[in-house]
Amino acid sequence: MFSHNRRKLLQASGVLLAAGAFPLSLRAQLAAPRVVVIGGGFAGATLAKYVRMWNPKIQVTLIEPNPTHVSCILSNLVMTGAMAMTDITIRYDNLRTKYGVTIVADRAIGIDPVNRKVSTQNGTVIPYDKLVLAPGIDFDAIPGLDPAVVPHAWQAGPQTLALKGLVQSVPAGGTFLMSIPKAPYRCPPGPYERACLVADTLLRNRRAGKVIVLDANTDVVAEPHTFHTAFQTTYASVIEYHPSTTVDSVDWANKTINTNWGPIRVDAANIIPGQRAGKVVASAGLLGRDPATRWASVNPLNYESTLVPNVHVIGDSQGTGQPKSGHMANSEAKVCADALIRYFAGEAPDPAPMTNSACYSPITAKTASWLTVVFGYDAATGLMKPVPNTLAEAPSPSSEHYKDMFGWAKNLFADSFS
Amino acid sequence: MMKSHRKYLAGAGALALLLAAAAADAAPPAGRLLAAQCAQCHGTNGQAVGGMEKLAGESESEIYGELIKMKANIKPNEIMHRQAAGYTDAQIRLMARYYATGGKTTATGTPTPSSNTGDSRRRKSHDD
Repeated sequence: MFSHNRRKLLQASGVLLAAGAFPLSLRAQLAAPRVVVIGGGFAGATLAKYVRMWNPKIQVTLIEPNPTHVSCILSNLVMTGAMAMTDITIRYDNLRTKYGVTIVADRAIGIDPVNRKVSTQNGTVIPYDKLVLAPGIDFDAIPGLDPAVVPHAWQAGPQTLALKGLVQSVPAGGTFLMSIPKAPYRCPPGPYERACLVADTLLRNRRAGKVIVLDANTDVVAEPHTFHTAFQTTYASVIEYHPSTTVDSVDWANKTINTNWGPIRVDAANIIPGQRAGKVVASAGLLGRDPATRWASVNPLNYESTLVPNVHVIGDSQGTGQPKSGHMANSEAKVCADALIRYFAGEAPDPAPMTNSACYSPITAKTASWLTVVFGYDAATGLMKPVPNTLAEAPSPSSEHYKDMFGWAKNLFADSFS
Repeated sequence: MMKSHRKYLAGAGALALLLAAAAADAAPPAGRLLAAQCAQCHGTNGQAVGGMEKLAGESESEIYGELIKMKANIKPNEIMHRQAAGYTDAQIRLMARYYATGGKTTATGTPTPSSNTGDSRRRKSHDD
């Protein structure tokens, strides 16, 4: 009896030790598992918060060089003057004090996926059991374009204020040009919302000349009913919408934007370049060898890279086909957090994760629209797919939606950062 | 020899215990991940801030009933009706139960009796 039990125990310990090699390191089983997150936007912050909230035995380190996060969400209202920068600036204090996330104010510059270490600009080396990349977006270069002179304002902060100044600088009857890159890009309705708010601001200031909208896509990418209606009725006297139009180069000395249809002379320009995964995703080898690959291929059950084990990508940099937005980033981060917690417990990820998007866009100074969709995991294709009947835009903008927009944003900010 | 053997066995036992503890600790309650997908608009753990409806403390039948009604009759001007349409009745049941019990559901989805205090650590983390 004793020997039988002993053999069983020995067998069990052998299994345990063998299991130590894969999928968990022995270290991860014995000491507190270590999750390292790069990037403190909606994705990274939510991941850090939820892992700690759901399992405080897991150590979480967030590497983020900026002392605060400035939200792109609502930033067009800072451009119009309806809100202040402080309204969209979020501190990391709660992540540290409420949830015990270790914040490293530094920039991650190198990843060693073999030895599972991240190195930072200041020379710190941070080991991990699981690494989560949430670096947001990086931009394509456009010949002659210097974002310090012609802002994109597609990352909030100084760029937001530069755009605000730009809108204020448009002379009466002048021409403001903005360009929309090929999808996928961050925040599908965002550029159209901005076009509306620039037109609204110029109209209200009685300076309205023209707002030229160049869209690299063949049609409005998100909320087509809402934005076609706004462009053709509310702002018909101001907005000129040109689909299938790309910006090839910029000659700012002559205030000229060169497009595939020819040059356009303007007074002010807001060029939003084409987008790709944040730099650290490429440098970690998560985009593979094809230079045309823009986003990290990941398994949507746990957001682990399909190329490099134990490195996960959430938020705008992931390439699952889900839209790139703060709300979606929060949603993906929870699926990833749950999968990491299960992983450290030796369990498989939830086999049927759900994510969702909901967002509000101001259309005028007093009205907003909304866009929503729910995604479910499709086991047959291994993709997240929109659930039928869930993709919809508001039938028309309203003041009620405008009010709801602030409730949505307030909860989203709090759920992600505090 | 015998002594070191026993040590080894003790070590293996301790390791097994550690693993079991870690696993038990981490097993997510049913519906937790699903319910967390409401939090973007309705607050972490259903504790809404600023004008949105809170879900924490609502009864299971109320949350379930409302969502089932919404998805059965989608009104175009209601964003929540589209959200409700994204989930099966069973998923809605799990979410409703999760919020109604403050996260005190077991891994299989059965609410634990409120008198059960063995789970106070997990309860606390949800109240944070």
